[in-house]
Amino acid sequence: MADTEKVCCQPERGLVLRDVTLTAGSTCVLRDASLTVLLSGMTLLSGRNGAGKSTLLRAMLGLVPLQEGEILTHGLPPAQARQHIGYMPQSVTDAALLLPAVSHVRAAVDGLRWGLPLHLRPRREEADRLLALTGASAFAHRPLGLLSGGERQRVGLAQALAGNPDLLLLDEPLAALDHAGQEQTVRLLEDLTDRLGIGIVLTSHETEALSGVVTRVVQLADGGLHVRV
Amino acid sequence: MFEFDFMRHAFMGAAVVSVLAGTVGWFLMLRRQAFAAHALSHIGFSGAAGAVWLGFPPLSGMVVFSLMAGFVIGAEREGERGIPAQRDSTIGLVLAASLGLGAWFLHMSNRGSSLATTLLFGDVLGIDMPTLKALCGVAVLCLGLLAFLGRRLLFASLAPEVARARGVPARLVSVVFMAVAALACAACAEVAGALLAFSLMIGPAATALKLGLGPLAGIALSVGLALALSWGGLMLSWVTDAPVPFWIGLGAALSYALADLWRRVRSR
Repeated sequence: MADTEKVCCQPERGLVLRDVTLTAGSTCVLRDASLTVLLSGMTLLSGRNGAGKSTLLRAMLGLVPLQEGEILTHGLPPAQARQHIGYMPQSVTDAALLLPAVSHVRAAVDGLRWGLPLHLRPRREEADRLLALTGASAFAHRPLGLLSGGERQRVGLAQALAGNPDLLLLDEPLAALDHAGQEQTVRLLEDLTDRLGIGIVLTSHETEALSGVVTRVVQLADGGLHVRV
Repeated sequence: MFEFDFMRHAFMGAAVVSVLAGTVGWFLMLRRQAFAAHALSHIGFSGAAGAVWLGFPPLSGMVVFSLMAGFVIGAEREGERGIPAQRDSTIGLVLAASLGLGAWFLHMSNRGSSLATTLLFGDVLGIDMPTLKALCGVAVLCLGLLAFLGRRLLFASLAPEVARARGVPARLVSVVFMAVAALACAACAEVAGALLAFSLMIGPAATALKLGLGPLAGIALSVGLALALSWGGLMLSWVTDAPVPFWIGLGAALSYALADLWRRVRSR
């Protein structure tokens, strides 16, 4: 059995893995792994390339099936937990690059509803609020394809914040950013955790940019998870 | 020209199809499925040939074949980033099989070249009242389904992974949308023919997207352009005697080129 480290005893505010076996193709990501960890503040999920960090994030959202065991986020299985989780994949989006950035965020704001929107103003106002929160208002009406990597990350964050989640799962938010861009993004993430009280779980190889910022590190290695506070 | 029944029917049919093509085409282009639009109208051609061979109206065959192909294309398993990894291969193979069947249907119906010409290039001036009613029925069904899907379809098109993570049933949305696209392609093929049906779906939508407009303005422009192209094509055809699909195809390419030019000038 993989290492088990009890970091908290409040599963309703954290992540619980019970005897989880998870594979990605031929790679075994987790083998009979258990873990209980608080998800307040910023949690860095680290591991070597190909260890399965992205797969674990996707499993928390129910996008990847577990071979065995269960994952509870804030005490809920993935299908229910994802109502409270915002997600930003590694490549923010490469669809509809000619559409204004604000259209991408508006689509995320009420994208869970069927039918046509009867009242457009609340959706517009919410999208504007999210873009302001992530510092993306200045370029909200420019086509997404004309934005820099850092600007697109801010739009992706605004999308992830749609639905007012308690927790953000961010897959490599610092990848493909220069040093200044990384610093700006880290400051933005700190600001989100401080101002909104949102927990953030992120994967990244840029441990230097995150030093002193993350609350805890969850190391994914050898089919198990190890926590450092 | 409006003193003739066939011209009035043609203008009404073109209007119905334009609203449908402009709306469905915008989503097809947004989802980068131009090849699907091209393939579905050609697949409809095979269905129409089969229907004629069996003694049914061509539109019924177009609808059945396009719909079956739409389900196959839409149901393909999605890859990690929410886009089917083998989408173009699947569409290509479904298209190849359908065209093979179409050639056999034409051979069996003994009306090879004349029927093929009609199906490939369309016969907008031959639209009768029953066909017009059928087109209206297809348009109402498609637009109704699109209105129902609308917001989830837009979210799943713009950010497929994020939408799936939030619980949007992306595969179901994709299958229903491809069924809508198949019906719309069959309806467009009735007016512009199998070869040029997709020009009415792709040209106006591509122009609207090129201009960087948001969804509502983009769809409105796409529908307006489709209407201008089809009605303009009918009028120019009346004056010049050149076929309607010729004017539609030319107009679609021209409108896109103008949008591209406008963007370039504006970005300087």
